Amino acid sequence: MKAQDKQIGAPMNRVDGHLKVTGAAKYSAEYELPNIAYAVLVGSTIARGRITSIDAKAAEKAPGVLAVISHFNSPKVPGFDTAGKDPSQPATAGGPIKIFKDDKIRFNDQPIAVVVADSWERARFAARLVKAQYAPEKHKTNLEASASEAFLPTAAKKNPKHPMNDYQRGQADAYKTGAIKLESEYVIPTEVHHPMELQAITAHWEAPDRLTIYDKTQGTMATRRDFAREWNLPEENVKVIATFVGGAFGNALHSWPHESAAIIAAKVVNRPVKLMLTREQMFTMVGYRPYTWQKLGMSATPDGKITAITHESIGQTSTYEEFTESTLAQTRMMYQSPNVTTRYRLAALDIGSPIWMRGPGEATGAFALESAMDEMAFMLNLDPLEFRLRNYTDKDPENGKPWSTKFLKECYQLGAERVGWNKRQLKPGSLRDGEWLIGYGMGVGTFGAHRGAATVGAQLLPDGTVLLQCATTDIGPGTGTAMTQIAADALGIDPKRIRFELGNSSFPKAGTQGGSSTVNSVGPATQEACLALKDKLRTLAGAGNAAFASAKKEDVTLADGYLTLSSNAAAKVSYADLIKQGGDKAVTVEAKPGGEGQKYSMYSFSVHFAEVRVHELTGEVRVSKLVSCADAGTIINEKTAGNQMKGGAVGGIGMALMEAAHIDDRFGRYVTKDFADYHVPVHADSPDVQVAFVNQPDPHVNALGTKGIGEIATIGVAPAIANAVFNATGKRVRELPITPDKLI
Amino acid sequence: MAMNPEHDAPAGHDEARRTFLKQSSLLTALAFVPAPVVDAAAANLDEKVAGAIEKVPLKLEVNGKKYKLAVEPRTTLLDLLREELNLTGTKKGCDYGQCGACTVHVDGQRVNSCLSFAVMHDGRKVTTIEGLADGDKLHPMQEAFVKHDGFQCGYCTPGQIMSAVACVREGHAGSDAEIREYMSGNICRCGAYSNIVAAIQEVKNGGQKV
Amino acid sequence: MNQFQYVRPSKAQAAIEAVAKDANATFIAGGTNLVDLMKRGIATPQKLVDINRLPLTKIERENNGLRIGALALNSAVADDKQVREKQPLLALALNAGASAQLRNMATVGGNMLQRTRCAYFYDLTMPCNKREPGTGCGALEGINRMHAIFGFSDKCIAVHPSDMSVALVALDATVLVTGPKGERRIPFADFHRLPGDTPEKDTNLERGELITAVDVPDGPFTKHVHYQKVRERASYAFALLSVAAALDIENNTIKAARLAMGGVAHKPWRLTAAEQSLVGKPATEETFRQAAAVAMQGAKAFKHNAYKLKLAPNTIIQALKTAAAA
Repeated sequence: MKAQDKQIGAPMNRVDGHLKVTGAAKYSAEYELPNIAYAVLVGSTIARGRITSIDAKAAEKAPGVLAVISHFNSPKVPGFDTAGKDPSQPATAGGPIKIFKDDKIRFNDQPIAVVVADSWERARFAARLVKAQYAPEKHKTNLEASASEAFLPTAAKKNPKHPMNDYQRGQADAYKTGAIKLESEYVIPTEVHHPMELQAITAHWEAPDRLTIYDKTQGTMATRRDFAREWNLPEENVKVIATFVGGAFGNALHSWPHESAAIIAAKVVNRPVKLMLTREQMFTMVGYRPYTWQKLGMSATPDGKITAITHESIGQTSTYEEFTESTLAQTRMMYQSPNVTTRYRLAALDIGSPIWMRGPGEATGAFALESAMDEMAFMLNLDPLEFRLRNYTDKDPENGKPWSTKFLKECYQLGAERVGWNKRQLKPGSLRDGEWLIGYGMGVGTFGAHRGAATVGAQLLPDGTVLLQCATTDIGPGTGTAMTQIAADALGIDPKRIRFELGNSSFPKAGTQGGSSTVNSVGPATQEACLALKDKLRTLAGAGNAAFASAKKEDVTLADGYLTLSSNAAAKVSYADLIKQGGDKAVTVEAKPGGEGQKYSMYSFSVHFAEVRVHELTGEVRVSKLVSCADAGTIINEKTAGNQMKGGAVGGIGMALMEAAHIDDRFGRYVTKDFADYHVPVHADSPDVQVAFVNQPDPHVNALGTKGIGEIATIGVAPAIANAVFNATGKRVRELPITPDKLI
Repeated sequence: MAMNPEHDAPAGHDEARRTFLKQSSLLTALAFVPAPVVDAAAANLDEKVAGAIEKVPLKLEVNGKKYKLAVEPRTTLLDLLREELNLTGTKKGCDYGQCGACTVHVDGQRVNSCLSFAVMHDGRKVTTIEGLADGDKLHPMQEAFVKHDGFQCGYCTPGQIMSAVACVREGHAGSDAEIREYMSGNICRCGAYSNIVAAIQEVKNGGQKV
Repeated sequence: MNQFQYVRPSKAQAAIEAVAKDANATFIAGGTNLVDLMKRGIATPQKLVDINRLPLTKIERENNGLRIGALALNSAVADDKQVREKQPLLALALNAGASAQLRNMATVGGNMLQRTRCAYFYDLTMPCNKREPGTGCGALEGINRMHAIFGFSDKCIAVHPSDMSVALVALDATVLVTGPKGERRIPFADFHRLPGDTPEKDTNLERGELITAVDVPDGPFTKHVHYQKVRERASYAFALLSVAAALDIENNTIKAARLAMGGVAHKPWRLTAAEQSLVGKPATEETFRQAAAVAMQGAKAFKHNAYKLKLAPNTIIQALKTAAAA
């Protein structure tokens, strides 16, 4: 690859691909540390109540056991007692479980003890020997049964401007008086992130006041802050390493009890401790997409103009944290409607706290909104795409601001062509292939083009390569690869001469990898750091070379072995000379969003088109085509971005057709415990997902023009499939997942 | 757990047992007990005694390297690879044979290493992701996964690749649909399925030796 | 997982003796279910007798049929030329089960001995008469969408998860076992049990009895066969229910029929009356519909599995249609 080729947009192979295909990439349970010990959690067997006793004698005596820790003998975690300093990121009220602090049980399988031994086998065996007695209390684990107690989130009660407050434009509930109207209820069950890597942590107290953790986290800085607070340590005494994260999809946006448990255990046994959850535990203690009930009312004119929408939802949260998400956001801004009402409520249940799961609330809300759009289009005898076009918004109806960019119409066109939308019949059940009924459906997604502050360090190494560092993580999208491409363009050098290191809290700071914000935030910081480095090198070179002294930083080229000027090829300073000259060849640059958000409404948009086949006798649904089109601003790497879109689409297939975690309310305990009960899509469920990007830069989000992909890849997929199922069968399924029993 | 490559050091099971013989006064009583018939936990045995009687000898060839080991019978092949041999390329994704992240080849056949005890493979040849490349030269399937971006987070990737190689060798890569069916034992939660199928197709059609 | 003693006898007789004389001993073959159960503390054997290296893997002609060794791998059987020619239904059922990797580990004998996937059986904290007699059936009043519609008792409503066994019961297979008291042959339909008052017993095997082979008699079912499995995803999932259908058709008239269902009872569920209703009739959808109605006689659903009362006959019809067209 020539240095002058533009890297942004090129389908470059991943910079860490070699490590991933050879098994050399190390995840958080795979670090070799001396004298490592193994920790296994013991979970409660009731959903609510108190622990009255724990018999750990047998476990303590079992071979290889180093410690059995519970609230009876846990060392004091100083931060647990510091009021108002809870490590609560998503919580707007309450705070996370303080593990082994008291006898209170707040959900079934809550960790009540941790067993530490010198091997997995011994720790697991001993964990089974721990016996607890409880004083159970009546629990609540059913959202519908608790719907009458649903409440406005505390944060909204306290602050009238909080986005979780009730929203109204025009008249409240105006749909009820509309000429053509619908009112439908939708349910999405609890879904679980289930990244392939089980949540794992290796905790190592390198000194009594210095902690290093190798952890599955989407934010090394946030995790560092949380555990520094728990142990009342200066943040710089805690180091969080997450070089590779085996997927997360949101479930590593929060610090969880098992992490605290491993750190406590490492303190007690004074050895590095490794803890890996079981697949059962992944259901109970590291978050999930909350069970959510929604009601959507809509009215429209006969010519297909929406006149009113009311969208209400009740989402599940725990008794100890108020988890909120933007379930109703898309309803407020996607379609032109003079009257819109939204009401968001929570129901607190005796289940662990939820956490944002890919697409988070927006994906939940889009299932209701985009299903209702399809229902209304059907009532109006209109093509659903045409219905959406008739209600298209050229500015944000929620606040009147112009869109920073919006190329959703272009997405509609791209997708409709590729899926063969013209084959779709208005009348359900019109198309078939033998026993398979064929249908087409679409669903729209949107997500805020969020950007936060980020800092990147850049330095020229003696061998002429450039090292970049940032505390951001890469849970799979290919962050290091995208940043390398951005840096290559900014520096004008071959990407092979750049190394972008991430996943370490000691590196320059960045936010968590969530909310589709990483490239938006870290991208500009990378770009600016590279430009600053060039300028710094120019200045250094200028000390002995007049041409450099007067050159502009954009003019500087980092050639193979020397620095030169693109305007003056004769001007040369070798790296060797620069290094000899001494002086710092490193910069650290922070990039922050400006006031663009005040002037513009900034969103990524997507539309998903599905072709499904539904077996008329067995009710099985196969997604035979899935086309996802996105207006996500500039695409840094079409290969990795396309992959991310495909992955979001596959996640949407799971949401639409198979994913549901069920609790037996009598016991307040999940009956879905593993991948045999909780189905996620396999190869055979995935068609060859087709992806198209508009690839138009957004000039307002950042200088790169990016808007974010991760969420819009999933938002809108489930309703596209549900709508296609309706088109195939005439059956409207409003409670996910669409399993065969609902269609026969 | 004692572990040594055979050609490196002699302290395999037998050696460990001899050392333990010298040290333990409890031994006379236990010498006649075939390992590991005694439940050390229940019998309240001291740590060294327990450690020794709980283990059985195991010979295994992993990625061409011969190992002479002493393992507990309850140690799975997966845990042996990851925790004792430090071959962490083989992943634990569910531990119940429901995800395929732990896929390795035993005597050339793809299997879930989480669902069998290491001792059951005594004398067999195991190939893991670390043993697939020819030195620095990647296996064609590894190359194809990189080229087609057949992964995101990378955690299921070793299992996908081991399974994909077997899929082609078995002759089950005749069409996209057949590949999808025969690769369904390997879950990719990131959803890179389309790209994995493309990678397998390329290798299959490329005619290189897999 | 608890500790256990591991032995690997080289002779079947030694293996049988090892299990026969020790109530806490059990055979291990592929391990694809037993290891899973041991990890979760549901099975806690003190001694494992590894039979994997016993010479019981052959697939050969024997007495006008195929004799399939109990340790033949599921993948080997599914890919075997004789099986595909003589008993294609068996190959179809095997390939509908599990994953390629698991089929490379699982044996024929082990497949038959799979335990139920009922969630209550799998959770030590929940009631389950199968796992712990006398504790009650969690599924009866619980979440029972996967559960039985035939042959259940008030003690247990779990279903048997095997696909292979559905084909074998349809094909009139016989299980060959050797035990402390010698050899015996068990008709496949009598191998698995209904739960009755003893749901803890899945089969009629006695302690120490080792499955050595399965005999599958030759039949006319070499062409018009189908295994229809309905599951919640396209592959690698246990069945909501499944149907094994085999027809012998001449001049569009059904001369002989075999029909069995999986995922509906505590054992693979042979549909003899429905088979009889098919014989002599034209191979039409109407005939299949009538047979499905016969098959469903006596079915009864619980709170969450009423869909099976419709899905089952539909799947029977689909399986027969596909078999007839094959």
